[in-house]
Amino acid sequence: MQQREEKQLEAATESLISRVAHVKNALHSFIYKLENEYERLTWPSVLDNFALLSGQLNTINKLLKNEKTPSFRNQVIIPLLLSPDRDEDLAKLTEQRVPVFSHEIVPDYLRTKPDPEVEEQEKQLSVESARIGPEVAQKQIQALNKLCSNLLEKLNNPRDDRDSESASMRQNKPSFNPADTNALVGAVAFGKGLSKCRPPGPVAPGHPGQGPMMGGGPTLQQVTIGGGSGQQSAMGGPGAPQQQGQPGKMPSSIKTNIKSASGSMHPYNR
Amino acid sequence: MEAPPVTVMPVTGGTINMMEYLLQGSVLDQALESLLHRLRGLCDNMEPETFTDHELVYLLKGQQGNPFILRARRSLSHPKSPWHLRYLGQPEVGDKSRHALVRNCVDVAASHSLPEFLNEMGFRMDHEFVANGHIFRKGAMKVVVSKLSRILVPGNTENTERLSLSYLVELSVSAPAGQDTVSEDMRSFAEQLKPLVHLEKIDPSKQRH
Repeated sequence: MQQREEKQLEAATESLISRVAHVKNALHSFIYKLENEYERLTWPSVLDNFALLSGQLNTINKLLKNEKTPSFRNQVIIPLLLSPDRDEDLAKLTEQRVPVFSHEIVPDYLRTKPDPEVEEQEKQLSVESARIGPEVAQKQIQALNKLCSNLLEKLNNPRDDRDSESASMRQNKPSFNPADTNALVGAVAFGKGLSKCRPPGPVAPGHPGQGPMMGGGPTLQQVTIGGGSGQQSAMGGPGAPQQQGQPGKMPSSIKTNIKSASGSMHPYNR
Repeated sequence: MEAPPVTVMPVTGGTINMMEYLLQGSVLDQALESLLHRLRGLCDNMEPETFTDHELVYLLKGQQGNPFILRARRSLSHPKSPWHLRYLGQPEVGDKSRHALVRNCVDVAASHSLPEFLNEMGFRMDHEFVANGHIFRKGAMKVVVSKLSRILVPGNTENTERLSLSYLVELSVSAPAGQDTVSEDMRSFAEQLKPLVHLEKIDPSKQRH
């Protein structure tokens, strides 16, 4: 049981280290870009860097929330040896950022409680909150909630009485057109606008089942004649696995189609 | 023994029943560069991969109303590669809160005699189009940004005309049935692409009318 936990801890630490290394690299390249290429930097590429960082932080969060990850809070780090001498291995490991594992770095790197100033502030805040009493606190909470919901509403519903220039700026920004989305999805899903017997143009055909199949009548008849021989070749040919069940069914459906083709199914029926 | 109707037959036979989880959206031409840039950052680090594919959609009309649809796809940029045959089922209606479109999906490779084979089986080609664009991968998720073109003369893939001024963006995952964490992951990835493109679950049957 304990071994399993140790293994989990090790694995989780490994993946956490690699994720954090990714974040570090991304930050490094971003800072470099900001410092050296700021004349050529455009807002979209800055946004891309932020999106990248946000993605990486998301993955870290997901990793920490993963149920297989043991709770890191239960682990304690105790320094076993502190020395004021320079440690070459440590320096190499941390890329020259921590050359000495000494008494100075312990409060920074191994800290688990908040900074003393922060602790002071927290203590003051809790004293203050105890002082004002529950009813006043409740009123303050409600006021804060109301402010937040007002703000959210303002952000979510752009109002018409805004400046015309910000409205026109907003119109230049949309990077996608929902009508286009629907047209493209329709084309991929069932050939809207693509049916080969229509003149090229965004005319929406009807149900594809009724779509004109030129030669649908005559060729179906041809298929029965070839259907017998086609069946044998289909069995031996490079048939896809799911179609091996179908050659058995083909003859029956084709024959049925032939009967109805001469009757009601006219290829030019529109 | 009467053969069961073609369109209702479940796909069986030695493979895991794979489902395709899908989210779709589109992006205008002028925003394409920013989208590609962002995808290059968000997705796995690999050489940007472009593709040019020719897809033909074959229908088999059974006795019932709904025809059976198979999609055959071949690469125009790698003409020697095998054809790719795909069956997509009806979208699963179930959990309305599920964030992605889920449908049964069967993918197989086929040789170059596939079109004749399908014709002999009784399938008729309904429509075809050419798709070319970029493909990105992040773990199991696949993002395809493609430009669709209509083929003006049947069979001639040189002479094409663009369908619209937008690129279709599709985020898909192929996973065994029953894994609902997949759609959560897809949704959080889609969040990172806003506001450039809104990836959402678009029900194809609603688009018909």
